[in-house]
Amino acid sequence: MTDKYDVAVIGGGPAGLAAAIAAERAGARVLLIEREARLGGILKQCVHDGFGLVRFGEKLAGPEYAERFLTQLRGTGVEVTPQTFVDEISPLKGPRADRVPPPTGFQLKLVSAKGMRNVRAKSVILATGCRERTARQVAIHGTRPAGIFTAGSAQYYTNILGQLPAKRCVILGSGDIGLIMARRLTLEGARVLGVYEAKPIPSGLPRNIAQCLHDFDIPLHLSKTVTRVFGHARLEAVEISDVDGVMRPIPGTQERVACDALILSVGLIPENELAEALGVALHPVTKGPVCDQNGMTSVPGVFSCGNAAHVNDLVDYVSESGETAGRAAAHYAMNNSQFTMNHYASLSVDDSFLYAMPQRIHLREPVDEITVFFRSREERGKTRFTARLGNEMILNKNYRQLRPPEMERLTVPLEGAELKPGDVIALEMEEMA
Amino acid sequence: MNIEKINKELAKRFGAEKYSVKARREHLVLEGESGDWQEIVAAGYLAAKHTGKLPGCLVNDVKYLDYEQPAMRMPSIQDDSLEGATPDVLIIGGGVVGCAIARELSRWRLDVLLVDKECDVALHSSSRNDGMIHPGLDIHKSSQKYKYNKLGNAMYEQICAELQVPFTREGQYLCFPKKLPSFLLYLTKLYWRYLDVPSRVLRRKELFGILPGLQADLGSALFFPTAGSVCPYSLTIAYAENAIQNGARVSLSTAVLGMDVTEENGRQRIKAVRTNRGTIRPALVINAAGVFCEDIAAMAGDRFFSIHPRRGTNSILDKKISDSVSRYHASTLMTGHAKGAHTKGGGVIRTVHDNLLLGPNAVESPEKEDFTTSPESIKTVFDKQAKTSERLNQGQIITYFTGVRAATFEEDFVIRPGLYTENIIHAAGIQSPGLTAAPAIGAALADWVAQRLKPAPNEAFNPIRPAIVNAAALPDEERDALIKQNPDYGVILCRCEQVSRGEIVAALRRPLSCDSVDGVKRRVRAGMGRCQGGFCGPLVAQEIAKELRIPLERVRRSGEGSELLYGSIKDTEVTS
Amino acid sequence: MKELICISCPAGCRLEAEALENGEIRVSGNSCKRGLDFAMAEMTRPMRSLCSTVRTAFGDFPMLPVRTDREIPKSAIPEAMKLISGIVVEERIACGDVVSSLAPICEGNLIATSSGLISF
Repeated sequence: MTDKYDVAVIGGGPAGLAAAIAAERAGARVLLIEREARLGGILKQCVHDGFGLVRFGEKLAGPEYAERFLTQLRGTGVEVTPQTFVDEISPLKGPRADRVPPPTGFQLKLVSAKGMRNVRAKSVILATGCRERTARQVAIHGTRPAGIFTAGSAQYYTNILGQLPAKRCVILGSGDIGLIMARRLTLEGARVLGVYEAKPIPSGLPRNIAQCLHDFDIPLHLSKTVTRVFGHARLEAVEISDVDGVMRPIPGTQERVACDALILSVGLIPENELAEALGVALHPVTKGPVCDQNGMTSVPGVFSCGNAAHVNDLVDYVSESGETAGRAAAHYAMNNSQFTMNHYASLSVDDSFLYAMPQRIHLREPVDEITVFFRSREERGKTRFTARLGNEMILNKNYRQLRPPEMERLTVPLEGAELKPGDVIALEMEEMA
Repeated sequence: MNIEKINKELAKRFGAEKYSVKARREHLVLEGESGDWQEIVAAGYLAAKHTGKLPGCLVNDVKYLDYEQPAMRMPSIQDDSLEGATPDVLIIGGGVVGCAIARELSRWRLDVLLVDKECDVALHSSSRNDGMIHPGLDIHKSSQKYKYNKLGNAMYEQICAELQVPFTREGQYLCFPKKLPSFLLYLTKLYWRYLDVPSRVLRRKELFGILPGLQADLGSALFFPTAGSVCPYSLTIAYAENAIQNGARVSLSTAVLGMDVTEENGRQRIKAVRTNRGTIRPALVINAAGVFCEDIAAMAGDRFFSIHPRRGTNSILDKKISDSVSRYHASTLMTGHAKGAHTKGGGVIRTVHDNLLLGPNAVESPEKEDFTTSPESIKTVFDKQAKTSERLNQGQIITYFTGVRAATFEEDFVIRPGLYTENIIHAAGIQSPGLTAAPAIGAALADWVAQRLKPAPNEAFNPIRPAIVNAAALPDEERDALIKQNPDYGVILCRCEQVSRGEIVAALRRPLSCDSVDGVKRRVRAGMGRCQGGFCGPLVAQEIAKELRIPLERVRRSGEGSELLYGSIKDTEVTS
Repeated sequence: MKELICISCPAGCRLEAEALENGEIRVSGNSCKRGLDFAMAEMTRPMRSLCSTVRTAFGDFPMLPVRTDREIPKSAIPEAMKLISGIVVEERIACGDVVSSLAPICEGNLIATSSGLISF
């Protein structure tokens, strides 16, 4: 027997929770599929506070933020299937998902302790989050001892299992999770010898540098990286090297730091294995799907949100993108026969941007405004942001400062712009005096 | 053989009186001293060219100045669990060769004991190679390598079926530049026929249909259909488990420290073998000690060959790109562009688990247990393999590892009874294509032992080793039935490789003990994928703690001292 | 003059605070009132919220995330951590429930930030 749903949401973290709630409120029959036993995703282990300031005006701890959505979810008719793995996903119609006409839906093969189960959904939301780059991916060489952890697994050991993964550690990478773990481990009695960052500027938020490092006198070393590890059974030391302008280690600058753990906070990669299996086009910079303003990917009926779409710095934005995708997926499920391909305008960015989301705008329904998220490629002072359609200026906005770690969110009004398929909205940045 | 002639050659190439060779009993010894390891290796090769007519090989006693070989890494455990043991056969070394021998010997009613100093089998070369089953291209017809490679290659279907280990035989492609006239490839067929290696010439169109990701400047290829691919540590573990099933004993964390050898009528005999777990008095010793085989031979008074360790690094790439490079499962491809002196140039291999594997390179280095990797070795391999396919890049690497091959100066296996000691048999100097040869070596040595000890057959011998079920590979109905029987098979803990809790628990309950995160990884692949255990590592650790009834902080990544955790965070003193 | 990074929100404004001779504190660089308040506190009595976990008596959820229900003096953090280390939660309490009072270390309570003990 195959169960039928309007919307299948894959992933029960902050994006998937928001998506499932929004889709159900929009009238859809929703199945929420979660791999772990408990909903909440990575928030479960983020016991630090600072979540929800944008959305709730409060500084909540991660599990507390998730709890707000779980409470909402309990009041809906969303069917939740925890500890369930999506083994396979395939479009119901057409040889390839990205061909016309769009698929009438998707078949999902699910595995759980109850057995195998096939379900169908008219639209699918990929809210699969992201994974951490590993020691191998940042080319750490030497031996292979115990004691090398990604910040996320160190966080799991510490916060979920209550076990100390390090007594005397070095943190590589100044991403927020690394900074948070520096404070967390210090509070629990470990010694954090320093945070090393290969880039000349920190990757994490300034407030985390302040409250996680400065408060505990943990040094931050910029333009330095770990080039080698030592120790056979357990990590004994790491070799630190200075790096040049293109982040290559400079020979002769090595120093050896004795430690029993190396914690890596060296970047996150959207998890898009299911998207790829569906033939969804991925963006080379975000590593997530190319999306329209509703989070719909290049495959009609497949939506992406949260960190699966692009790595966010605030959970509040993750929830927002989940809600957008949830509403749109519900709408699509109930009206997909009217969907038209090739009805897109696009957004283009110049070199000063790392990327902007969304990459394109679907025009079938009138578009009054779109929410744009972007990151600057480099640290910038006073900058003017402009959005143009041909010669017409749609929006300009001044920023005091732009930094790559901080994602900017703004609303671009499109009422009266009369966008046509093929139009390009150009986003630009300009240094101000 | 003319000693004087060798010495002249040595003097001519390396300077007068730097190195000298002399015959000792039935082998050659090279002496001298040097501060240059590469030169020592070169001198060894030169001298070894002349050992052909001697029963023994070349022993390289040249002193490498200002260098001290690090002591063999030892298990710290000291007990007497093996004290007084009197096995018929003691096998030293739990690599694929030692385990294959143990399994083949378990066909007989013999007391077989296999010891390995590591905490698991297959921790050295048998888990640090490319898994290729070689057709036998670059080996002399008169060599032991040729003989055992050919025999072993032909045994793979049967042995992998019996041991339930994945194996594929999809052939090997040796690709050549477009500008090379393809009639030359047809000419080489004579040579392959002489070697008795089946071959076929593939023209461009056919070739690119099979290997879509090839570089455009490649035009044709030689195809060798007898090449295959196996997971080397899976095979080793399966051999060990089947041996145990059939009555053999395996004692891990057991290092051989020395031997008592007596001499009577000019013949030596091993009386006792001392280990950290007691003194063993075996009737017969088999030396399958990999890179330490020379050390074992020396303890037995039977050192008539030398090992010069040769490091090789392999990279493993994300499964995502496999299809775009090679259509066929487990096909291997190599280019004729580059051929190293003592590696067949490495290659691009689609493993039985569907990852692409690149490598290995070959670096002479004196240290026997230096498994470290370096950016340079990865780069060397990539620079070479990028000539095969433009779709390869370093960003696709998910992991890499280094192995140390046990090469002799003759570059051949030493598979023979002891030269000076009568109750030892060597399976030494085993390097590529040692994996291919292993089943044949196992069978041959078991035959020799049987001839010598004349045991009765083991009537209860069961050649089938039931594998741990791979739930994700089952047809849906079977998988569903399995889960209904044991719900743990429906709980996926390793998301990248789709490994269920059921499989992980099964790995912890096998005949050969497994109690570490890496041990589980080698048995069921949890943690082998692109996140490299980032997500499943803590989950596997919890399963180990639960199954073994130990606190989490005692769960190890691999061997002793590799505990992952330091205990409860709430028990730690707060530093101010 | 002291350079500070405001931790009140993700913007992380860079502030400058100066204690004047008349006892007043002059703050610049802030974009909102919270920044001003933060800088004033940093110059007199720095305050932080504290998040951690406490042990529970329940094997299905061994660690319960907690936080202080208000900011506490930064100087009280080591003592508060000692208190936290000794707590074992023996009831299945919900998110927001009080785990313990912080007295006598400082004002405020430790509250649970997860309902992991009651929801399955």
